Amino acid sequence: MGSFGDLMTGFATAITPMHLLMCFAGVLLGQIIGVLPGIGPSAAIALLLPLTYGSDATGAIIMFAGLYYGAQYGGTLTSVLINVPGESSSVMTSIDGYQMATQGRGGVALGIAAIGSFIAGTFGTLGLMLLAPPLSKIALAFGPPEYCMLVLLGLTALAAVGGSVMKGLATGVAGLLLGTVGVDPQVGVPRFYFGQSWLLDGVDFIVLTVALFGVGEVLASCFTSSAEPILNVGRVLPNREEWGQAWKAVLRGTGIGFIIGVLPAAGATIASFVAYIVEKKLAKDPSRFGKGAIEGVAGPESSNNAASAGAMVPMFALGVPGSNTTAVMLGALIMFGLRPGPEMFTTNANLVWAVIASMYIGNVILLVMNLPLAGLFARLLQIRYSWIYPPILAICLTGVISHANNVEDAWLMFGFGVVGWLMKRYDWPAAPMVLGLVLGPLFENTLRQSLTLSHGSGWIFLSRPIAATLLLIALFAVVAPPLFEMIRQRKAAPVEA
Amino acid sequence: MQKRVAIGELVLAAFFAALGLLWVGAAIRMPLWEGFAPQSGFMPLWYGVVLVGLTLAVVVNLFRQGEGKAEEPIGKPILVLAVFAAGIAGLEPMGFGPAVFLMLLFMFVFIERLPIVSSVLVAGGTTAVLFLIFRTWLKVGLPVGPLGI
Repeated sequence: MGSFGDLMTGFATAITPMHLLMCFAGVLLGQIIGVLPGIGPSAAIALLLPLTYGSDATGAIIMFAGLYYGAQYGGTLTSVLINVPGESSSVMTSIDGYQMATQGRGGVALGIAAIGSFIAGTFGTLGLMLLAPPLSKIALAFGPPEYCMLVLLGLTALAAVGGSVMKGLATGVAGLLLGTVGVDPQVGVPRFYFGQSWLLDGVDFIVLTVALFGVGEVLASCFTSSAEPILNVGRVLPNREEWGQAWKAVLRGTGIGFIIGVLPAAGATIASFVAYIVEKKLAKDPSRFGKGAIEGVAGPESSNNAASAGAMVPMFALGVPGSNTTAVMLGALIMFGLRPGPEMFTTNANLVWAVIASMYIGNVILLVMNLPLAGLFARLLQIRYSWIYPPILAICLTGVISHANNVEDAWLMFGFGVVGWLMKRYDWPAAPMVLGLVLGPLFENTLRQSLTLSHGSGWIFLSRPIAATLLLIALFAVVAPPLFEMIRQRKAAPVEA
Repeated sequence: MQKRVAIGELVLAAFFAALGLLWVGAAIRMPLWEGFAPQSGFMPLWYGVVLVGLTLAVVVNLFRQGEGKAEEPIGKPILVLAVFAAGIAGLEPMGFGPAVFLMLLFMFVFIERLPIVSSVLVAGGTTAVLFLIFRTWLKVGLPVGPLGI
């Protein structure tokens, strides 16, 4: 009953006109971002950060959360109508969704995606509400060694999700390294500022995030200048037969998505892949998949939305992001002077519950908006990217200058923008770098505190059960992907031979 | 099988390695350990060492696997970057409004070859909206030039 009472308090905060407006704005922006090419939810949140700086933290986080799950659905429109997934989590949707569209059932694909997303989002939020508070209570027992290992786990798990673990780790360490610029928080000595007084405050989170996700993405995508021809949307609501085929997929996708979303750094993309594979395996006639099976849309779409809610569990309860976007949101929480982690549920309970409550509201907005307006959103696809990217760069520039109020930070953004472009081009993940910068001070402080407590012995991380367990999981996250890849290659070798 | 590693990726790896080396070089001149406790240079030193190590491992892996990605043309991004840099450089002498407007206009008209009237309208509209939000609404001090904007 405790959670229910807290949720009601959260609703009381979330239904104030300003917060409702922020929720609506977030969901709407998320939809638009999901549809437009070359800009993802992480970049959009990064661009909005300067606008929200100094404003009400609850409203800002409500908007970011709305943007996050709104973008999941926005990506579906492009997947279904032009076979171009707006988000990586919509890749699986495009397989059967586009086929449905070519058969004149694009509207039904979008309709089942909206309904599935609503059901998944609602159940996912329920799961977040039930799971996060007890998890945070366990985490309240954390001391410096546990926090240190938790940050390590967050970094390694996020690094392990991308294509190359080594590249992910390298960018994560680069972020930690950039986090040391400025004044040493423990002894107050300036370091790594290279004689530039404007660097004494450190590398700003907004500068790095806008550079890597905003400028970097624009430079990597400015080739795509043409608009795609789109197919007709048609009828949106699924009929009885289609609903009969899809409802089990929606429920399975919800469960799969939430569980995968909760795992640090697993995220919506993996969730949608697993949901699609499960649906294909369970289907009586798997040959329908790839030719317009409605379950192939319902499963992954429900899954990626439930994963968005699931990804917020580790973010709120442990301060470890479950995805790239929550990594940026985590930075936003810190920017607002909050400390994500177990204490959030005691020190900032009102904010957390208001965000959770707003997610229920946001899911209703998403459903109401999408069923009648799917065709209208589809028209956004006709805007050429040539018209979109220059204003994005102008927003990046304005955001950074307005935040730091100096042109030097704009040059820093320019430099990191080039790095972000190369990273995007060669698949070096950017999220670990941002997370490294954000969590760097906490990692350094807790590691130094732990070593001071243990008189310089690293044994402290192995002698405390929670810290040791977190360390083991972190090691597993690094070792497992190459190990599994090696096993897969060994298994495949005799077949090829 | 063709084994080719992209030059751009090597440049990126070299940047990270150089960053690591820079940190190692600066950290060893700082106090590393005192009594029981690590000091200011301890963590940066390790970050630098680990970054160099990981970058080298990535490079070795690239050459071993020959997983080089096909190079895309870089002409357009470089052009966009150049105009973006000119926009930043123009902020202080020209002021926020003219610098951003000209930057947008140049990208629309000269890089994207879009119709000039629409380009002027979109560039002007975008600049005006940004100015209204940040300067008028949020009261942020943006760079001001001779035109007062």
